[in-house]
Formats: sequence, structure tokens, C-alpha cells
Amino acid sequence: MHRLYNSVEPRVMDEDMLKLAVREQGPKEEAGQLARQEGILFKDVLSLRLDFQNILRIDSLWQFENLTKLQLDNNIIEKIEGLEHLVHLVWLDLSFNNIEAIEGLDTLVNLEDLSLFNNRISKIDSLDALVKLQVLSLGNNQIGNMMNVIYLRRFKDLRTLRLSGNPIAELDDYRMFICAHLPGLVYLDFQRIDDHMKELAESKHQYSMDELKHRENLIQAQLDEERAQQEELEKHKAAFVEHLNSPFLFDSMYAEDVEGNKLASLPGVSELLQAYKDKFVTICLNIFEYGLKQQEKRKLELDTFNECVQEAIQENQEQGKHRIAKFEEKHSLSLNAIRDESDLINIEVKILEYSEDITELFNVLMTLEMQLVEQLEETINMFERNIIDLVALFIENVQSLMAQCRDLENHHHEKLLEISINTLEKILKGELDEDLPDDLRALFVDKDTIVNAVGASHDIHLLKIDSREDELVSRTNSWCAHLVDTIHKNEIMRNRRRVREINQYIDHMQNELDSLECSEVID
Amino acid sequence: MEVLKEKVEEEEEAEREEAAERGKKMMRPVEMRREELPMTQEMLRDLEKKLSEIEIIIPEPPIITKDTIDISKLPLSYQSNTLKEEHLLEVADNFARQYSHLCPDRVPLFLHPLNECEVPKFVSTTIRPTLMPYPELYNWDSCAQFVSDFLSMVPLPDPLQPPSHLYSSTTVLKHQKGNCFDFSTLLCSMLIGAGYDAYCVNGYGSQDLCHMDLMRDVCPLTVKHKEVVKEEEKAPPKKYAIKPPRDLSSRFEQEQETKKQEELKGEEERQRKEEEQRLLEVEKAKTDPLHGLRVHSWVLVLSGKREVPENFYIDPFTARSYSTQDDHFLGIESLWNHKNYWVNMQDCWNGCKDLVFDLGDPVRWEYLLLGTDKAPLSVAEEEDDTMNDDDVENLGKEDDDKSFDMPSSWVEQIEISPEAFETRCPNGKKVIQYKRAKLEKWAPYLNSNGLVCRLTAYEDLECTMTLEIKEWFQNREDTLQLRHINKSTGLIIDYFKPGHPQALRVHAYKSMQPEMDRVMEFYETARVDGLIKREETPKTMTEYYRGRSDFLSYRHVDFGDRVKKLALNSAESNPRPMVKITERFSRNPEKPADEDVAERVFLIPEERTQLRYHCRDDHITASKREFLRRTEVDSKGNKIIMTPDMCINFEVEPMEHTKKLLSQYEAMMKLKNEEKLSRHQAWESELEVLEILKLREEEEGAHTLTISIYDTKRNEKSKEYREAMEHVMHEEHLRQVEAQLDYLAPFLAQLPPGEKLTHWQAMKVKDECLSDFKQRLIDKANLIQARFEKETQELQKQQQWYQENQVTLTAEDKAWYLSYYSQAVFRMRILEQRLNRHRELAPLKYLALEEKLHKDPRLVEFLEVFV
Repeated sequence: MHRLYNSVEPRVMDEDMLKLAVREQGPKEEAGQLARQEGILFKDVLSLRLDFQNILRIDSLWQFENLTKLQLDNNIIEKIEGLEHLVHLVWLDLSFNNIEAIEGLDTLVNLEDLSLFNNRISKIDSLDALVKLQVLSLGNNQIGNMMNVIYLRRFKDLRTLRLSGNPIAELDDYRMFICAHLPGLVYLDFQRIDDHMKELAESKHQYSMDELKHRENLIQAQLDEERAQQEELEKHKAAFVEHLNSPFLFDSMYAEDVEGNKLASLPGVSELLQAYKDKFVTICLNIFEYGLKQQEKRKLELDTFNECVQEAIQENQEQGKHRIAKFEEKHSLSLNAIRDESDLINIEVKILEYSEDITELFNVLMTLEMQLVEQLEETINMFERNIIDLVALFIENVQSLMAQCRDLENHHHEKLLEISINTLEKILKGELDEDLPDDLRALFVDKDTIVNAVGASHDIHLLKIDSREDELVSRTNSWCAHLVDTIHKNEIMRNRRRVREINQYIDHMQNELDSLECSEVID
Repeated sequence: MEVLKEKVEEEEEAEREEAAERGKKMMRPVEMRREELPMTQEMLRDLEKKLSEIEIIIPEPPIITKDTIDISKLPLSYQSNTLKEEHLLEVADNFARQYSHLCPDRVPLFLHPLNECEVPKFVSTTIRPTLMPYPELYNWDSCAQFVSDFLSMVPLPDPLQPPSHLYSSTTVLKHQKGNCFDFSTLLCSMLIGAGYDAYCVNGYGSQDLCHMDLMRDVCPLTVKHKEVVKEEEKAPPKKYAIKPPRDLSSRFEQEQETKKQEELKGEEERQRKEEEQRLLEVEKAKTDPLHGLRVHSWVLVLSGKREVPENFYIDPFTARSYSTQDDHFLGIESLWNHKNYWVNMQDCWNGCKDLVFDLGDPVRWEYLLLGTDKAPLSVAEEEDDTMNDDDVENLGKEDDDKSFDMPSSWVEQIEISPEAFETRCPNGKKVIQYKRAKLEKWAPYLNSNGLVCRLTAYEDLECTMTLEIKEWFQNREDTLQLRHINKSTGLIIDYFKPGHPQALRVHAYKSMQPEMDRVMEFYETARVDGLIKREETPKTMTEYYRGRSDFLSYRHVDFGDRVKKLALNSAESNPRPMVKITERFSRNPEKPADEDVAERVFLIPEERTQLRYHCRDDHITASKREFLRRTEVDSKGNKIIMTPDMCINFEVEPMEHTKKLLSQYEAMMKLKNEEKLSRHQAWESELEVLEILKLREEEEGAHTLTISIYDTKRNEKSKEYREAMEHVMHEEHLRQVEAQLDYLAPFLAQLPPGEKLTHWQAMKVKDECLSDFKQRLIDKANLIQARFEKETQELQKQQQWYQENQVTLTAEDKAWYLSYYSQAVFRMRILEQRLNRHRELAPLKYLALEEKLHKDPRLVEFLEVFV
């Protein structure tokens, strides 16, 4: 454990050191010759060994993007750092260093094998990102708390674990505890866990395990439920009618409405309010259901459209492939013929013929593509029209339903006003028997005040309804616009890609022919 | 008696000859007329010659000659009629009388022919509904096939009349031959037993039908099943389906073109039709002078039961089913099942085409017995029926015995032994001649090579030019199922069942020599390498694979000419050099398309390798690479490892790393290894072909047959075991019988049976038994004693004789005497020993018996009183 680090000079990880390592570990013999000739880019290196280099600080590794295996053992590293860019890493060896805490591994999602043997780690954590972890070596560290093992339960693929040489390994219950808490484990400290051992451990820790499992299950169930809810909400959002299947809108109308809440305690108002709420919620539900239905319809429309477009593109591609295959068949023959031909004039003729073929192929492919573009253009326009119609219809209907809501609100407002004025009159006449809350009574000072209060409540309600409607309409419209835009853009992209592909292919063919011509001329 | 029988037979003979004569006369009316011309000598001679050419067909003796049937062994029901049957016969006679009175112009009914014991039996009672224990005989088609295979056909003695005898199905099965009535009776019994609504029909058939002549029929096995081209349902055009590009070609030109095409087609059609007409003319049969008069019997199956959708006929000779409108069936007299008998009252001027099989309709079908379950199907139809005769309606209704039902069948249970069922055809062999085809059938295991069926197709009607041969095999150890030999091309195709050691499925070849044209198909699931098919020509070999982990789906190898080897002594084979290997791979979904090789071509002599990659989903071009290996030396004398011009790339989406020489070099090295591997695999395939050919030759030579372990008769091992077991069982049984010998039985038998023993009687029985046993023992001792004495006397006599003639005796006599002496002494010694032993054992045996009697359950209660 106690190596005299001070006696050696720490080295810096610089470019030279890395280059040397890469060259030494790179390809050998003929391939090595080539590699030397060309030079090796750091990003092509897949595996790197940097052991016994007295490295103190990990550095300069950001170029090794595609590295899958990295060995940094037997150095004097104190902190895990500088590995953020090595996202393809599968194998990481940091054994025999001076690391005190696990950190800096959050981007290495592909890591399967991690060795931190012989360090100074006292706590297992910060490994959450390593979901594919299979082998973990944490021997000869300073882990003293058994609870660290429970942290490892989240790694479903963990098969091999090493923890010997830690304070916890001295405990009597060490093996049993680990076997019970990590049932997926196959090797512990390089020893296979047999079934007998597993059974023993299970029976021994049954109670605590059951409790643990129960807790985990509860958390899991909660998570699942939340996720399901979230999904449901997402679905409703996609239909632009979220929260309309509940009295959410109605409640929100009264959430900021101080006067309205005050007025609710007037005699006769609560019944009125209840009836109003019921009707309002029914209309909201109608909107909700209608929205979902319309969403289905839009989805169907979109699916049909996508399917048809895909079919058309597929068919067009098949045609193109067929043309190219036919051409290639001929091409290989004619190339051979040109090569074999000795007569210069004949060669000329054949080359000419061949280049004509190429041009023809180009024309055919481009025609196919242009044809497809035209056809798709038409289809897309049709779809655009239809989807805009659908959306317009949806908005119209929702607006009419919203108008119903507004009518209800107006109606309610009138009723409320009537009750309020009646109450005011009663109060003024001193006929009122019931006690009114003080803040409510404050409203019944004169007619203007009460009318203003009721009016303010009404305004807030209308505002809420309007804003909900506006939100729905604007979101629907923007969705529609975005959809159409994306479709157009995709089609343009597709077209460009295809044209580029055709051009590239034709260029390649032409080049091949040209090079042949050149070689003929040289010959 | 004997004389009488002979006379009867003579008469029958005469009748038959007469019938034949009649037939002949009608057949040659033209010739007769010619003979009326004044005869000259030449003509007479000519006639004589002609007459000598005409062979008189001597009618075959009765189907089963009387002496082959041992009447005495047949059960009583065969030899006599019960009262009920007598009654039925009377009813039938009455019915026949009325019928002949009312319909004098119709032939007498076929009601009660004689059976093998010369006893008249009503036809319905001859049907014995039986369900066979073989699951194969549960359906009508297999039943009919069995009957037609199992019995051999004998024509009716008089083709114009129903036979005088109708034997029981048991007798027919025993002799395996019969006429159409026997056939249909047996088939009808089986079908009714299996639950069909089947009837025997007595009617008139065409000549082909009556003579079981299939020469004008196409063999059902040669008829190729028309592939039902399922028209793919065209999905209704979707809402956003793209519109086809505008058609810019001239419509007028198209029309002209189609017109021309149609004209050409019409011409061809016409020519083809003419050709067909001509062929038909050639094939058409001569008209039959007895058309419509030939008596035949077949089976009618009515719809309703066993999910039979509509009525149909089965011809029992050929086991073929016909619709009720078929041309071969020219009329129906009557039909019957095991319950009733119906007479057809409908007119058969148009064959059977207009017949209505509504047996409950008394206008169309006159029933013999009332009270059947056939209700008229339709009442409305009766009204428009114009041909019914008023007189006929009343017929049979005068029967006062309305509740009379059909007596049960007199025929014994129909039984078919498993051996007979398996052998099927008489002697296990059957030949059927079809139009341009010959079908031969054998019982399984009859031929040593497992051949069970052979179909020979001919090019011409005379069956001289073989076109193709199909042979079906069974129980072959090499699982060969069918061999198809095409004579015109010389191609042989073998089909195998699953289970061949090399997983062979189909093997098509012209010769068994290697490196020739051949196609082998395999059961790819049984092979590790997933090979489906391997095609070979003298210069190429193509293999198709499926389901491989390396996604290889196709490999094509071109071979070059064999290089002549100088060293002839090498024992190794000299493989042909491979010129080109083409391999195709299916898409590996785990790799991106640009890195997934679709086709790999190794041009071996040029050291060139071409790679074509899979096409991306949204692309129409695929990446290509070509490697050209050169082992050259550059100007400095260094070996060139890799130069850019050794690798030609076309990439759909240029990638950086493929441009590097290093990666190209690595790819090339990998390809080099893979080329080696592919060559090795191709070489192994060649070896495998040789191996399979060798194996096939061996199998063909040995053609061993497999025997199922359940086949107890043929499986030698199990047979031995079973016989041994049976033997053991038998001995065991004998021993048990012996052990159970009742020693008290003779004494108990003296007492009055059924009464309880008294004490006194019991004592008496016991004493008697004991005394008897004692007497026996003494007798035995005496017997031994007597024998001993006899032996002694004999010996003394011989001794005396010897002493008297000792001087004159020859050496032979002396030797004889000596041997006799020693034997006699031996016998005497044995007898002495036995006597002594008997003396010792006798008291013990006596005591043992006494003890046993004490314990005997029948005596114990009486004897115990004393003890």
C-alpha cells in the first residue's frame, strides 16, 4: 500500500508520450510500415496502454474519440478526470493509483469493465451512468460500510465483483450479505458463487431483503405510474385538449378570482355554482373527447400519407436500382471488351458508346427522379389541403363549444348579479337573516361595488376561457404549419440527396472511363 | 344328385354360349350381310381362313367354381332361411308379380338371387354394414380404393342380365374376386358401416365401365394439378397514392398493335383447336352395339350424412367417383340398402342425367317395404312431374303388411385380416392400363427394393414409346420416396423423405458420375451449414444457403480446366482449379449498409477481388470496392505493400477511414484469408458431392428396407422374442393345469351332484381316495416288478441260447449277444433302482396325500370334527 511516490518524478501526459505509446502499440510488420508511412491519427486508435508511466494527472486524451480500451494502471493518479470525451470506452483500468473518490465517469455509458483495484476509495458512488457495467474491481480499497453494496443493486448486468482487501471484507457476514443483496452476481472475489451459497445467503437475509425489495417495488410502481400519467398527458397535449377531461379549467377560473370565491358563500349561489360547474365540465369533456377523436383522424391521415409516400419512393427506388443493375451488367462486359480490344479505332468507338450509355443512364435516373418529385408535389399539396381543412374544422368546432362555455358563464353571471342585487336590497332593508362573512359583507356597500365585484369575477372567467381557447387554436395552427413545413423540407432534402447520389455515381463511372482512356493513350 | 347338377351346369353353359353368340351377332351385322353373296370356292376358303382367325372366347367358368366353396363350413344362416326371411321372400315375390303386371315391358327385378349355398336371399340382407377397424378405411375414397384393389374383377356371365348368384361378402373377400354386384355389395356394406348414406345400384353402364376399361381415361396420377393462381386482391387505391406518370404513347398505334396480336392469337387458337379435334377423333372409341343394355352395378352415395355435399356415384371397379350426371351411367333399374329396396320409376332416356334421388317420393321411387325413414324431400316438385303413371302409384300400396321391416343380414361379420389389408391386391400385385399410361401397384415389402407403385407414361396410344416413369417406394432405409425418370431427356429425379443421412431432399441427375449436370436439394434445417440446393454443371457449382450466421446465401464457383499433373504417382485427387468464386450475402441488420458486403467476387487467377455492398434503404446506388493484389517491387527494390491504385473505391457516402492505406491493407489481408476459406469450402463441397454419390450408390446397391418396431410380423428380433415369450407362457400354463389336477373329482362325481356332503360321505370319499392311491402305488410297484421279471426271463433265455450255441456262433452274433447282455443288465439295474425308490417314496407319498386331503377345503369341515 505504501509506495514511496515522492521518490519518483511524476510525469506529464503530453503529446510525445501519447505518440510513443501509440506507435509502440500500433500495427506491426507490413502494416506497421504503412502506418509509419501514413501516420496514425489518435482518433483511429482503439486501445491504449499507459501503465508504469508515473502519471499524476490524466490529460490530453480528448483526441482519442474512438478508444474502447484504456489502461492507466500503476501510476500515481489521484483524481479521475479528463475522460469525458472517451464515450466509446468499454474497458477502463485505473488500478494501483491513488484515487480517493469515484468521479468523472458520468459520460462513459458504454463501460463494461472497470478496475479501481488498490486505490484509496472509501465510498462507492457516482457510477450511475455505467448501466452496462459487468465487471467491477474495487479490491484493496478503504470501503468500510456494508451499505455501499446496496448501491450496486442498480447494475442489472453486474456479474463479477471484487471487494476483498477492504475493511468490510473482514466482517463475518461479508460474503453472505453480498450474495443476498446482489443475486445476479456470479463471481465474488474471483470465486464462483454456487447455488448452495446463494440459498444460504437468501435464507439468512430474507427479512431485510424482503423489506428492501418491497421498498424498491414501491418506488418502481410509483415511477411507472408517473410515467404512465406523463404519457397520457403527452397524448392529450398532442390532441391539444390536455386537462379538459377534468374540472381543471373551471377550477383555474376561480383560482385567481377573489370576489367570485367570496360571492360563493352567498345564499343560493353554491347551488347555482354547482349546476354551472356540472354543465361547464360536461362541455369541457365534450371538447376533450372531440379533440381526441380529431387527433385520431389526423393521425390516420398522416399515416396514410406517409405510407403512400413511402410506397411511391420505394417503387421509384426499385426502378432506379433495376436500371443501375442493368447498366452495371452491361458496363462490366463493355469495360472488359475495351480492355481486350487492341484496335485503336475500335477502342474509340467503344469508349464513345460507353460514354453515351452513361449519359443515357444519367438521363433516365434524373427523369425518374423528376417524375417522382412531380408526383410527390401533387400528393403533398393534396395532403396539405386536407390537413388544413381538418385543423380548421377542429378549431371551428372547438370554438363553438367554447362559445357555449361563454354563454354559460354569461348566464351564470346574470344569475349571480341578480342574487347579489337581491341580497344587497335585503341587506339595505335589513331583512337578511343569515350572517355573512365580513369580507363578503364589505362588498355589499352599494350597488356599484357589488356590480363591479361580480363584473370583475366575470371578466376573469371570460379571460381564462379566452386564453384557453387561444392557446388551443394557436398551438393547433402552429402544429399544422410545422407539419407541412417539415414535409416540404424533407421532400426537398430527399430530392437533393438523390440528385447528389446520382451525380456522384455518374461521375464515378465517367472517371473510371476517363482513367481507362488515359491508360490507353499512355499505352 | 350328381347327375342333376351336371345337367344344370350344362344348361348354364349353353345359356352362356347363347348370350355370347347374341353379342357377336349384334356386333357384326355388316359382315353377315356380306356373306349372303353367292359363295365361290375362294370365298369359302377365305371364309374358312377368317373363321379360323376368329377366336371363340370361351366364357369363363362361374366366378367361383362350386367345388372351391366348402358349403359345409359356412354358418347355418347361409344354408337356410329364417321364417322372417321366408316371409320377406314372399313379400318380394308378391311385389315382383305386381310389378311385372303393372310394368310388363320392364325387365324382371333383381330381388333375391341365390347365394353360394343355392339359397335365395334378398339383396338387402346381403348387405352387412360393417365399420372396419382400420382408420384408413373411414372415408369413402379410401374404402372404394381398397375394394377396387382388393378384389379382382370378373365380368358378368351375361353382360345383359344381372347374375343368378350373389355371394356373401365374406366369400367374395376370401376368394378376392367378384363381379360388379359383389364389388358394390361389399363397398356398400363398408360405406354404410362408416356412416354414409350409400346404396347399391342395379343399372346400365357404358362398355368401359362394365369392362373396367380405363384405356380411354387419363390416369389420375398423371393429371397435373392446375396451380390455382390466387389473384392478389388489389388493395383499393389509397387516398394519397401517387398518380401514374402521364402516358404519352399514341393510342391509335396501341390499338393497331393489339388488333394484330389478337389476329395472330386467333390463328394459333384455331390451329390448336383443329389439332385437338383431330386427336379426339383418333381417340374416340368405336360405338358399342350393346350401348345402354349392359348391366352394371355401382354405389350411390346420397348427400346429407358424413358431410357429403351432393349425391355422387362410385364405380366400385375403379374406385372413381362420378357425378350423377356422368355419361357413363345409362340407367337405373333399382337400388337398395340394408333397409329397403327401391325401384326406379323415372325414365332413363337421357341416361341418369335427369334422375331425382328423392327416395321418399313414391312416384319416382317405388319402395318395397313401407315404413322407411325417407320422407319426400320436396312436395312441390311432384306437380310438374308429367311422366308418372297412374297405375304405378297404386303399386305396392296394397301390401297389408305395413309394419314389416327388413330382417338382419344373413352374412357373417366382414373381416379383413391385417395381412390381407396390407397385401391389398390379390398376390399383392395389380396392373391398371390407362390412356397413355400404365399403373402397377405392389404390396409393401413385396419387392426387395421397396417399390410399391410404378406409373409409366407413354407418348402414343398403343403404349410403345415410354415417355416417363414414376416409381414410388416405401420403407426404404435411404428414405427414397419417389423416382421420376424422364426417358426423353434421360433425367432422373429422386425425391427423399426427411431422414436421409445427408439430409438429401431431391436429387436430379443424368448419371452418377461426378462433375456432371446434377441438382441436389437438401432439408436445410437438418444441415449445419444451411445448404438448400446445390446445382452442378461440368464447369460450375452453385450453392444456395439459408439461415446462416454469416448471412451467406449463395456461392457460385467456376472451375477451369484440370491441369495435367506430371507426377502420376500422387494418390491425392487432382481438384479442378477454381477460376472465380462469387458469394452473395443477405443483409446483416447489425451492420450499416455501407459496411455490409452484398456480393464478393474472387477472380483467383487475376488476384482480383470485387466487393459490392448492400444498398442503403434510401439509396439506389451501392458502394463498391475492388482490390487488385500485386506483388511487385518498386524502384528501390522494396516490396510494394500497398498503393492507392490497388484499391478502387466507389462510396455512396465517402468515409474518411476507408481512404487510408492502412485500413485498405487490413481489409485486403482479411479478404485474402476469406478467399482461402471460401476456396476450402468449395473444395469441401466437391468432396461432399463425391461422398453423397458414393453413399447413394451403396444405398442403391443394398436397398435395405426399414421395419418399424411396431411391425411385429416382420421385425425378426421382436418376433423371436415374442415367440420365446409365448413358449414360456405356454409351459407355464401347462404346469398350472397339472398343478390344479383335482384328485378328488372322480370320487365326488360318484355322489349326487349339488348336494352338501355329509360327514359320513366325506369320510368315505377320503377313505376311498386313500385306498385308491394305495392301490395305485401297489400297482405301480407290481408293474415294475413284472417288467423286471420279464427282463430277467428274457435274459435267461438268451443266456441259455448263447451257452447252447456258443461254439457255432459267428463273431457278429457274439458281439450282438454281448451288447444285448450288457443292455439287459443295465435295464434290470435301472428297474431295480426304480423299484427300490418307489418302495422308499410310496409311504411318504401316501402320507402326503392324506395330509392334503385333510386340508382340502371341501372335506376339511367334516374331517376337522374328528381331529
